[in-house]
Amino acid sequence: MKLPIGWLKELLDYECPPRELADKLTMAGLEVEEIMQLEDETVFDVKVTPNRGDWLSVLGVAREAAPLVDGTLKMPDPIIEGASPAAGESISIDIEDPDLCCRYVGAVVRGVQVKPSPGWMQSRLTAAGMRPINNIVDATNYVMLELGQPLHAFDLSLLHNSHIIVRRARAGEKIISLDGSPRDLTEDMLVIADSDRPVAIAGVMGGLDSEINEQTKDVVIEAANFAGTSIRRTSKKLGLVTEASYRFERGVDPSIAKKAALRAAELICEIAGGEAAQGTVDAYPCVKEPRQIKARPERANAVLGIELTPQSMAQHLNALQIETSLEDGLLVSMVPTCRPDVVSEIDLIEEIGRASGYENLPLTLPKARTKGMDSKEGLFRDRIRRILMSCGAQETLTHSLVDSNLSELCGCDESMIRLRNTLTEEIDSLRVRLVPNLLGVIERNQTHEINDVCIFEVGKVYFRTPEGVIDEKLAIAGAMSGNLWRNSWNLSSEALDADFFLCKGTIENLLDALGIKSVQFAPTEDTFLHPTRCAKILVDGVEIGVLGEVAPGMLEAFDVKGRSQVYELDFNALMGCVPDTLTYHHVPKYPALRMHMAVVVSDEVKYEQLQQVIAQSGEGFIEKTELLDVYRGEQVGTGRTSLTISMVFRSRERTLTDEEVNSVLDNVKKALSRNLAAGFR
Amino acid sequence: MSEQDNLEELGKSALARVAQAATSAQLDEIDTEYLGRKGELTLQLRKIGSLPADQRKDFGQAVNDIKVRITDAIEARKKTISGGEIDAKLAAEAVDITMPGRFYRIGRPHVLVQTLAKIKDIFIRLGYEIVESPEVESYHYNFEALNYPLDHPAIDEQMSFYINDERLLRTHTTAYQHRQMEKRKPPIMVCTMGKCYRVDAVDATHNHTFHQVDCFCVDRGITMADLKGTLYQFAVEMFGADTNIRFRPDFFPFVEPGAEVAVTCSICAGKGCNVCKGSGWLELAGAGMIHPNVLRGAGIDPEEYTGFAFGFGIDRMPMVQHGIDDMRLFMDNDLRFLRQL
Ligand SMILES: [Zn+2]
Repeated sequence: MKLPIGWLKELLDYECPPRELADKLTMAGLEVEEIMQLEDETVFDVKVTPNRGDWLSVLGVAREAAPLVDGTLKMPDPIIEGASPAAGESISIDIEDPDLCCRYVGAVVRGVQVKPSPGWMQSRLTAAGMRPINNIVDATNYVMLELGQPLHAFDLSLLHNSHIIVRRARAGEKIISLDGSPRDLTEDMLVIADSDRPVAIAGVMGGLDSEINEQTKDVVIEAANFAGTSIRRTSKKLGLVTEASYRFERGVDPSIAKKAALRAAELICEIAGGEAAQGTVDAYPCVKEPRQIKARPERANAVLGIELTPQSMAQHLNALQIETSLEDGLLVSMVPTCRPDVVSEIDLIEEIGRASGYENLPLTLPKARTKGMDSKEGLFRDRIRRILMSCGAQETLTHSLVDSNLSELCGCDESMIRLRNTLTEEIDSLRVRLVPNLLGVIERNQTHEINDVCIFEVGKVYFRTPEGVIDEKLAIAGAMSGNLWRNSWNLSSEALDADFFLCKGTIENLLDALGIKSVQFAPTEDTFLHPTRCAKILVDGVEIGVLGEVAPGMLEAFDVKGRSQVYELDFNALMGCVPDTLTYHHVPKYPALRMHMAVVVSDEVKYEQLQQVIAQSGEGFIEKTELLDVYRGEQVGTGRTSLTISMVFRSRERTLTDEEVNSVLDNVKKALSRNLAAGFR
Repeated sequence: MSEQDNLEELGKSALARVAQAATSAQLDEIDTEYLGRKGELTLQLRKIGSLPADQRKDFGQAVNDIKVRITDAIEARKKTISGGEIDAKLAAEAVDITMPGRFYRIGRPHVLVQTLAKIKDIFIRLGYEIVESPEVESYHYNFEALNYPLDHPAIDEQMSFYINDERLLRTHTTAYQHRQMEKRKPPIMVCTMGKCYRVDAVDATHNHTFHQVDCFCVDRGITMADLKGTLYQFAVEMFGADTNIRFRPDFFPFVEPGAEVAVTCSICAGKGCNVCKGSGWLELAGAGMIHPNVLRGAGIDPEEYTGFAFGFGIDRMPMVQHGIDDMRLFMDNDLRFLRQL
């Protein structure tokens, strides 16, 4: 809200430079975001918190500032002689729905001349951020800014039967609002009607056909108090937020209505000629009285952590115009109707804290002694992050809000969660997997000529279970593309480019570092992955994730150049596989013997099968096998593959002799020929 | 010429040849020529039987002396020569040490995760248990349980992404508080962190997705001074010993009294600059004493227990620390950005 300082000075007698006043208001909770210097006026831009509707006026700010600058409040006191007939003889007012309108004050000014308002009023309104319209409307806006009471002016001659009825709209009723838009009204909306039709949407906007126009002679001023929640719903439903609706939503003081109506009448007489009718019509079916609240001074000290005397607490509250006395050691406060936010003891305690100054609160720490610790997910997440980073992967964070088209493309549409409302179509759903996002990162980096990329993310994925339950879980995913070595001059780039086996190696490295044994890679199907270059990852037979080369169709859809490898693991499934403790096995005492063999088998035979046969036939002496070389070509014939395998022989009990090792090797070879029709080179 | 003189000559010429030898191969030849099984000195020694008995001992001694001298000379010369040979070999192996090193680049932690990790460490030291919290929340936990009045403008400040009438993406990490209060008994000191979402147009300083940290503490005798002290302690550990905090009233429905916390601008040390818009302060957190309605709603008696809560966005912290001028960089994952921090 924009607050011209000259205006504040009219309502508050004080001495304080603007900068200092701004600091004091800010420290009292009314933040002055900016001090603007206009030609002949200093204007504060203040940020009013949603609980303090009373600050949305010059009067409200003056009331808050008074104790801060030791100022004296000068309440406008409109005095109107008033001509007959009295207001009550010109209009009648009926409130049919007092639950939505506790008070409706009407004042009447006859014989006005509608024209632009005088310069001083126009410049004030402009400084406060409002557009001048004509002298009548400007006067009502002026009073709203000054006293916080939204007002509306009707042309009396356009109100049928001079009857004002406050009621809920009837089914099918329509109105054309001041901005010229036709509006369909619903039965939960409050309207101001005359004897025939709605003439205003209560508290939001007036109607076009009862508005002040150049021919208007007689004016009805409305100063009403509408229920905030009703105004808010109507305003939301119509998509119409006005200065009036903004104030009603935040609460308007019902006590100010009459004064505001008279103040507007006074101003209109002054700037538009005309004569005010005697008095007002004041329909006030539910009178709001100051609210009595009691507070325990010791409770205030206990909450704030300070030591104030009950007397000084009462003083602080009185300075804030919350009339307070001490009775039997209790603070008894009468909270004025302009402070609907103060409803209980804790609210009074806040007022005491505010008035005594937050800057005076001491610095202490809670006496509670609790054990600080990270969550088990947090600890595991950090462990995973450290391993993957040392495997060469850069950590990334990508958006959870994604384009549903991409998820559909990746075959995730069934479990995908869509948003009901959004900003743009590119973020209309929640990610079901991480890998599409990582492929997107590769693509964006490729556009910057960064083609060698190795990244990972540990983050949430969101899904709907087959039963329809909305849920989320942590996932670990990585992607790699290009040559991940730096400065690999003199090394062959084909051998260095990230391929399926580098990706698989990263997973093997990760699982090994976590102490996870019995890992298996098995064929799988995944829309996102290359059908013959992908695998699911099993630990003790339980699937924990997938890895593989990205399917060519996906690379094309994401506009990624070259091949990319990805993996995605279920965070909790992986965490569940990690052994609690690792047991030490004695380092072998006896020497090892290393032997090589070149096995030729059919292309159909998997390396895993070779390993199994070797392990079974190795009599427990083969400590490990390593694949050294794979060859396909003329020398072994079509449909066959030669694999050079190195084996380490060792006994945990004794030194093996050459004869023993040769006999084991013989056994292994026999078993390979028997079981896998293997030949040897 | 006596046998002795003859021996002397032999020794002299051998030593001279050793001195002139240029390679260890030549020295090996000399070794064989004089000291080998058919070497000169070996032959001399065989003469010993033909000498008179009284000369035999001296002659034998003399041959041995020369043998030792030649052996020593060969060894010494060998050392000199092989030193040079190694030098030559190493010289031929020289590399250009200014050529680039070859390495497998290790990854770095994302800059926001670095910030979160630092914050996490501080709160763990201050006694907080870090807990996980859902991002898809219910309207109840995100607003209702936190004392947001139905149809109140306070909800407008947090425009939400809805999935349906009941479920939305949390607009603040504070949404986890009630869940924690329901399942714990005081003393409670917990902290959570993670993504939050608000319907907000994306520009250099706003994003629809941002990261928050939220802490709260409930026990007997918790005061607002404890809240202020905790935030001061955090600020000093996070931003340095010279950091001060500013505490001023603010409004959040779930706390009363409520406060806004600012810290000394680290760019200008509080003197005022364009980062802090001249104020010398940078907004840090929203905070306050947990509203009795919130405690009561979670089954905690507000007469017996009090508590404080605070929450803050963390995206701006690394922006100030590293001079990052565009918030979008965090989630764009341009490696030219990530690899700098
Ligand atoms: Zn600064």
